[in-house]
Amino acid sequence: MTAIVLATAVGALFALGTFLLLQRDLIRVVWGLAIISQAANVYLLTMGGIAPAVADSVPILAGHGGGAPQTADPVVQALVLTAIVIGFGMTAFALVLSYRVYEEHGTLDVTELGDRR
Amino acid sequence: MSPDLAVVVAAVAVPFVAAALTPLFFRVLGEETGFAGTVVALASFSLLATQYGSEGTVALEWIPALNVALRFYVDGWALLFALLASGIGALIFTYSPAYMHGQSGLVRYYAALFAFMGSIIGVALAADLIAIFLFWELTSLASFVLIGFYTADDSSQYAARMAMFITVGGGLFLLVGFLMLSVVAADILGSGAAFDLAAMLEESDAMATALRDRGLFLPVLGLLAIGAGTKSAQVPLHFWLPNAMAAPTPVSAFLHSATMVKVGVYFIGRVRPMLVGPEWLFLFATLGLTTMTVCAIMAVAATDIKELLAYSTASHLGLMVAGFGFTSVYGAETGVFHLLNHALFKAALFLVAGIIAHEAGTREINKLGGLRHDLPVTAAITTVAALSMAGIPPFNGFYSKELLFEAAVEASHYHDIGLLGWLYPAVAVFGSIFTVLYSLRFLSLFVGDRPEALDYVQSPPVTMLVSPAVLALLAAVVSVDPQLAVDVIVQSGLEATAVDPGEMHVGLPTSYSTPVGMSAVTIAVGLAAFPFYDRLHDGIRGVVGPTPPIRPNWWYDVIIEGLTDEGRWFAETLHNGLLRTYATWVLSGICAFALAGFVAAGAIDSIGVGTEVTVAMGLVLLVAVVGALAVVLSDTHVAGVLTLSILGFMIAIFYILGSAPDLALTQLVVETLVLVLFLLVIEEIPAIERIAVGTTVRDVALSLVVGVTAFITVLVSSGARPAGSTDIARYFAAQAVPEGGGTNIVNVTLVDFRGFDTLGELAVVALAAISILTLIVMRGRGDERSAARSDDDAIETRDTDTTTGGTDE
Repeated sequence: MTAIVLATAVGALFALGTFLLLQRDLIRVVWGLAIISQAANVYLLTMGGIAPAVADSVPILAGHGGGAPQTADPVVQALVLTAIVIGFGMTAFALVLSYRVYEEHGTLDVTELGDRR
Repeated sequence: MSPDLAVVVAAVAVPFVAAALTPLFFRVLGEETGFAGTVVALASFSLLATQYGSEGTVALEWIPALNVALRFYVDGWALLFALLASGIGALIFTYSPAYMHGQSGLVRYYAALFAFMGSIIGVALAADLIAIFLFWELTSLASFVLIGFYTADDSSQYAARMAMFITVGGGLFLLVGFLMLSVVAADILGSGAAFDLAAMLEESDAMATALRDRGLFLPVLGLLAIGAGTKSAQVPLHFWLPNAMAAPTPVSAFLHSATMVKVGVYFIGRVRPMLVGPEWLFLFATLGLTTMTVCAIMAVAATDIKELLAYSTASHLGLMVAGFGFTSVYGAETGVFHLLNHALFKAALFLVAGIIAHEAGTREINKLGGLRHDLPVTAAITTVAALSMAGIPPFNGFYSKELLFEAAVEASHYHDIGLLGWLYPAVAVFGSIFTVLYSLRFLSLFVGDRPEALDYVQSPPVTMLVSPAVLALLAAVVSVDPQLAVDVIVQSGLEATAVDPGEMHVGLPTSYSTPVGMSAVTIAVGLAAFPFYDRLHDGIRGVVGPTPPIRPNWWYDVIIEGLTDEGRWFAETLHNGLLRTYATWVLSGICAFALAGFVAAGAIDSIGVGTEVTVAMGLVLLVAVVGALAVVLSDTHVAGVLTLSILGFMIAIFYILGSAPDLALTQLVVETLVLVLFLLVIEEIPAIERIAVGTTVRDVALSLVVGVTAFITVLVSSGARPAGSTDIARYFAAQAVPEGGGTNIVNVTLVDFRGFDTLGELAVVALAAISILTLIVMRGRGDERSAARSDDDAIETRDTDTTTGGTDE
């Protein structure tokens, strides 16, 4: 199998996330955001090259004395780790914001909310 | 003698420092801040005066990587302009306190004047294209602030926007021209001289040849002409100048007659040795003479004294441009000498107009007359200045106008221009007749009888009289002994702008020649036509008034109004308050750009190679996608949250299989937290019925487009990935233990190599936490307070939203 599998999975996640993003229910919009950020993380990791999980490819050095093994790209992993945490912060904030919107306006329909301008 | 870097930089910097200190000056001196300005301007003036006679380039390093430097070139032409700017600046600062007495916003006024003076001295001395552009636009900016000084007045705001739009827009054309010049210069003079105008002018001939070889000569000429033409109010972009008269009169005298509008002329003179040729003659002589004539006619049609002077200024700028346009040495003599003469008499006339407006309370030409009884000193000043403007011998304006006539007559001797050889002198005479007419009209405000309606006219304070008197005195000195002015400064200015400068001689003509005849005709016809001034005035207004399309101002209004309407429509269509509209435009825009980029770069071809994926990974990803599908199809919120969790945990397993255990751990923790959060919140929200979908087809289509774009992007970018690990990855792996002291490379990267990134990430999480807390706690308080407070809460919510959103990026 080539990158087709990964590409299909990332593409499908992006498509489903986008569909949710366009919904009128605000909670679903937040879900869409969460799915898109998951897909983006997978995409980023793909860029670093997916290595099958064997001891040598995990970016953890065997011991203090040993030389560096052939590892999966640690830079991308550090980047994705940051992205996961920030994605969490964003999802949590968006969720509470939606909750607050519901409390203020009594609805989660974004079309109705938009018309209130 | 070569110039002294410290002195030159100080001369430019002193006004800027003063601009920063203006609030301090104002606190100490109040309305007398203007006199501090006089001191500052005189300081700059004396610093510049010490460089008198020197010539050469001095430079401060600025952006060495791009060969950009704060480079100053000192020669006669630069000094003439810089000394004029600081000298007239000193007079304007002296004049201002009395004129601006009792007005608010004086800190802004003086700060902008200081900044303007620094920029104009900078533009005069700068020899680096980037520095020139910077100072050039700074003068436009200062002009914008000063024209719009009366912030409560709509017409003042309109005029300020117009001036900004035209002059800054023209500056952008200039910038493009500069970049073309710098490309050519880097080629033939070496990259060190890429932006060095002084070096380009040294090698004028080589530059001109290289420009012609590359076919860039005409584009560069045209772009520089647009830049200079907008700044120096050349037809058809002259209309901002009469509007700019909304500024306080000292500003009009300083910026819009004596200095800023001359920057274009100054620059034309500066590049003249490099670009001069038949195209140059045709472009600038035609442009200048057209402007000179059209604006002189419009000045006759003016009803307001400042409007008259504004059109007259544009007309005289046309004269200077035409002068530089003629390729003979007389052309350069005209340009340089008239720049000096015009600054002297026109600044004086503007200050006189300020006195009239200030003391008589009106600027209407028809309501004024016989002012010599009330303002005898002003009348004397006006006599010198107005007759000089008219070009009546022996006043100084006569000499430079005579040179223009000579250059126009000589033009056909240098180039084969056919009929234009006759047309240029004829137009010059025709335009000058109107100049005589409006100059006499201005002078006639002081003679004749006082109109009944004119109120009591006070005498102006001494400080308002000193400045125009000094200018008129200088004009008188130049009138009596023009050769003195030539010897002191004009000759050295000529040497910088002329191709083959000779010894310049001016004086009253002693024998008949064609230019003398032309002057005689001009003055005779002007005097003869003066009794019919009112009929001419009404006639011109009768033609221009009812046919708006011949006024460029009308076109400006139409275009700006159209753009404003378009902009409003665009904004309302794109930002209509519906989340889905925003998402649609942003997502489809990103997809279009990404795909277009791939196609343009030919990247689609490289699809095919990729990383290996095991069966287990494929299965995990399949479950993840099915989970996401279940989220989309879920009927209730609870079902959606749970299926979303399946997706998240599958991604965690994918990380494990992809040899990224740190990511998997983080993902597991985060997923658990998100699940708990969602459940907590959803419990509070009733399971509302599924909201109507409406435009499913469009949503599905857009989703597919985004999905396909992501699919292609993954294929293209994984195909283009270089094989093996990157340099930075190898570096991190090798240095993890010796530098970071840890065996987990990802951890070491996060907390050590890229520690600041992690700090930023933590800041985001902290901000999110604070915002969430605010959202929840504020609601609780809101319940306790009155309903009226809920509006404030809403505003606060939006603020928090912006903060977090900003940090996310």
